[in-house]
Amino acid sequence: MSAAEAVPANAGRKLALARGSQAALFVLAIALVCRLLGAQFEWLMKWPAALTVPMTDWMTWLVGGFLDVFKPIARTFTFLVSYPMEGVGWLLNALPWPMTVALVTALGWTIGGLRMAALGFFGLMFVVFSGYWTEGMNTLALVAVSVPLALLLGTAIGIAAFEFPRVKGAVNALLDVMQTVPTFAYLTPLLVLFGFGPVVGLIASAIYAAPPMARNVLLGLERVDTEIREAAVMSGGTRRQQLFLVELPAATQQIMIGVNQCLMAALSMVIIAAVIGGFQDIGWEVLLTMRKALFGQAFLAGSVIVVFAIIIDRMSAALAEPRPQQDRKVAFGILGAGLLVTLWSVFAGWSPSGFAALDGVAAWVDTGVGTFTGNHGATLDTVKNTSMFYGLLPLRIGLAEAVLPFTWGFMWTAKHTAMLYGVAAVISLILMLKGRVTAGLVVMILAYVAEIGIAHLAWPVVIFGAGAIGWVAGGWKLARLAVILLGLVLISGLWERALLSLYLSGAAVFACAIVGGALGLWSAMSSTAWAIIRPICDLLQTIPLFVFLIPVLMFFQIGEFSAFLAICMYAVVPMIRYTRHGLTSTPDEILEAATASGAGKWQTMFEVRAPFAAPTILLGLNQTVLYAFAMLVIAALIGTTGLGQSIYLALGQADVGLGITAGAAMAILALVADRLVQGFAEERRQALGL
Amino acid sequence: MTDKNSTAPAIAVEDLWQVFGENAAPALRDARGAGDDKAIAKELKDKTLIPAVRAANFEVKSGELFVIMGLSGSGKSTLIRCISRLIEPTAGSVRIDGEDILQASDKRLIDLRRHKLGMVFQHFGLFPHMTVADNVAFPLKMQGAGKAERRARALEVLELVGLKGREDTYPRNLSGGQRQRVGIARSLAVNPDIWFLDEPFSALDPLIRRQLQDEFLNIQATLKKSIVFITHDIQEALKLADRIAIMRDGEIVQIGTPEEIVLHPVDDYVAEFSKDVPKGRHACVESILMDGIPDNMPDDPGIKVGMTLDTALTKCMELYEPVPVRDAAGKVIGAVHPHELANALQAEET
Ligand SMILES: Nc1ncnc2c1ncn2[C@@H]1O[C@H](COP(=O)(O)OP(=O)(O)OP(=O)(O)O)[C@@H](O)[C@H]1O
Ligand SMILES: [Mg+2]
Repeated sequence: MSAAEAVPANAGRKLALARGSQAALFVLAIALVCRLLGAQFEWLMKWPAALTVPMTDWMTWLVGGFLDVFKPIARTFTFLVSYPMEGVGWLLNALPWPMTVALVTALGWTIGGLRMAALGFFGLMFVVFSGYWTEGMNTLALVAVSVPLALLLGTAIGIAAFEFPRVKGAVNALLDVMQTVPTFAYLTPLLVLFGFGPVVGLIASAIYAAPPMARNVLLGLERVDTEIREAAVMSGGTRRQQLFLVELPAATQQIMIGVNQCLMAALSMVIIAAVIGGFQDIGWEVLLTMRKALFGQAFLAGSVIVVFAIIIDRMSAALAEPRPQQDRKVAFGILGAGLLVTLWSVFAGWSPSGFAALDGVAAWVDTGVGTFTGNHGATLDTVKNTSMFYGLLPLRIGLAEAVLPFTWGFMWTAKHTAMLYGVAAVISLILMLKGRVTAGLVVMILAYVAEIGIAHLAWPVVIFGAGAIGWVAGGWKLARLAVILLGLVLISGLWERALLSLYLSGAAVFACAIVGGALGLWSAMSSTAWAIIRPICDLLQTIPLFVFLIPVLMFFQIGEFSAFLAICMYAVVPMIRYTRHGLTSTPDEILEAATASGAGKWQTMFEVRAPFAAPTILLGLNQTVLYAFAMLVIAALIGTTGLGQSIYLALGQADVGLGITAGAAMAILALVADRLVQGFAEERRQALGL
Repeated sequence: MTDKNSTAPAIAVEDLWQVFGENAAPALRDARGAGDDKAIAKELKDKTLIPAVRAANFEVKSGELFVIMGLSGSGKSTLIRCISRLIEPTAGSVRIDGEDILQASDKRLIDLRRHKLGMVFQHFGLFPHMTVADNVAFPLKMQGAGKAERRARALEVLELVGLKGREDTYPRNLSGGQRQRVGIARSLAVNPDIWFLDEPFSALDPLIRRQLQDEFLNIQATLKKSIVFITHDIQEALKLADRIAIMRDGEIVQIGTPEEIVLHPVDDYVAEFSKDVPKGRHACVESILMDGIPDNMPDDPGIKVGMTLDTALTKCMELYEPVPVRDAAGKVIGAVHPHELANALQAEET
């Protein structure tokens, strides 16, 4: 960066600091007013019921009417789709398992040689021995029908967005919304439209899996080299010939990435959709065994899902890579061997259901977990209770209510409140004297949050706080967006539940930021660490959301802490990846300059790499936020309060109004958080002149 | 070869503008009031628009090889993109064989491109998912030719560019120069009447480059296509061109025969291009004729119209008085001073 550019960047930073202080002061003033006058004016603390708009009812009426109109069409569709679905299901079940194993192994060989063949073979053999063959095949049948639908839909949307620039903006907005609306929220209206049954899962997964495909098709088409495009034009191709003979094939690599993401999304959604029930699939099996606390079985069924996910992911990812041609003969050999074993199995009467060879494992896991929890129950309880009583609970309801004699050993009184604010004021003063005005003000705001708790925060503090952050991160436009969207949630009557969701996801994001940041830093410093952490990250990103619930349930039973852990496990991955990526991708000449100035390893890390990595790390945080919200809804299955629970309840009762409003509220929270963090990332990037 | 309208030039470009940026067309219309082309361009630049081609005016005659030269970013590629209507010009008109191509319907354009126009791209623009043969045969496929015919023709042109035996590899497995030759082969496959070549030999080594240039001149001598050829290499331009246009910042600063460009550059920019060119080999004696014909010329070494300076000088090495220049019929049409001859050749060496 030249000196000429450095000057305005610096000026911008000073301005941002001033903006930050102004915003913090503004929020602090609101907090002060609410704190002092909240007792007299109750409307400050709690939005009056009289002013609440019955959005849920309106939604029920509005969407209900809409759904009634489209129901006949949808039901016809259900009827039509059920044929291919049942057909594929029948086929997969009727096909003798040795033949299926051979087919997948041969496919693996063709795609990626020995490694993929081995993956296919051992993976499917595991499924055979687990005794969940039938359930597994039912799940695969759903995926097999929903994925082509999603691919078709996604490709069509992607092409439309590319061909008609006017459509593109709308499509991008739609895709954004489709990705922030929580998965369960799709299900309720679909349930009403298409009726109970597996078709809903199928359609939900097709809808859920189409956006990644559409995005990648669009991206791929946009990235086709201009001259390749023009060469097709000059050859005299019609627009359709250009598109299908040149541009789409030239974009294959990007499109295959889309196919991979589409497959994974479809699998994930098919398994989530199992909560509707009515279909003997593997997701349902996990849910059932979990509810019965048969953790060994749940673990086994969950492993089957993981195996499917890994096979599908790795094989379709290999498709996107350029690869050598494999020997066809080997593939035919594998198929031949499969055929022989099939014949043999028919004579010997092997049926996949007779292969519950791993029930022993399930039992072993059960006893193992039982013994472990028996022996270390006290430790586990300590972990859980400590985190709950000293971490999560105060965050949720504030120190003033969470500090009780039987946990903390004393009763919170006005004296403690005074002490809390006193200490905060001293720290704040020191910070301000050091010139860090914003930090000082933020400390005071945090003291207020600590006393009151997130779930009890006065609504003006939350809404205008978000507005103020938006103003700092992205100016008036972002501030307005945040205030209006959150205002909608406020008047919808879902505010308290939204705060609960905010609290749990906020706590999880906070934990992820610290743990993920530390792990990312460690991975950046030591390649050994990355060699260990990376495969774990890969695995965690492959596993469908649902499966995360199993291990936490095994050890910590149903409850908020388990949900918190499940969210953290899932949401920590992007934080690790982006932190490491940001820290390791500093341009070489900057590093050399630092070394030449005599900076040590850690000095370089904190003085040079970290500021440079800030925008990337913020993007990681952004992903973590979105992941946390996505998992929050799934975690409702094992005991959370808040919006997730409402969405789940709505599903159980086929309550479209509640399902949609709660889903929308959740999407709003995710969207606002997303925009705020992205605003900061953008601001940092500009400050760095990137 | 189709029957050409004998009166109309192959390509006629009139007041052609290409301005990149938001709302370029209205901005250009507003800027027209500013005065001459330079003033217009300045006004556009002030609005952060990019006038990549400004007020281009020229004609390419049927069967002519027209070369465009200019520094990087001077708008050469943009100009031929406008002519072939790969991008919509902001203003102006382009006629191909008398037909206004900017008014042509999509259908007509497809037709023209299938049968009349061919293009070699600067960065080759090969289709990554097709083999070399499929790449070359693609324009034929668009024409609706059968599979066997396409294959045969593809092999034929591939042999012409020296890529025999590589027809079933993919472009990614070829070197830069080989890829470039695939691009040339592809545009040759349909035998276009009007041919646009954007630095077609830039990635080739000198040997193959010379071979292909000769091959190219051969083709041109027999088929007489109308060609717009972009190059950075003045030697190549002088060797191939009937006429050369020099571009600077989107503007065509001079159009002329190779000799005019070398001997009478309109400004330093143009002169800089031909700085290293041995002028004696490109300029003819007519270019340095004296004013008037002296009455008395004692020597007559036999200087004829069309003789290069080099040849002329060797003939009058030891002479000091003006000598006559005769045309083919032997009639004296002017005179040159041997001293001037030497000067003209020396000027470039300093
Ligand atoms: N699509 C476009 N959008 C905006 N600007 C463009 C576009 N295409 C070209 N330009 C600009 O127009 C100018 C002329 O570009 P052009 O590619 O025609 O140059 P050129 O003479 O072919 O250069 P080179 O010899 O490097 O190929 C350049 O300043 C370029 O940045
Ligand atoms: Mg160019």
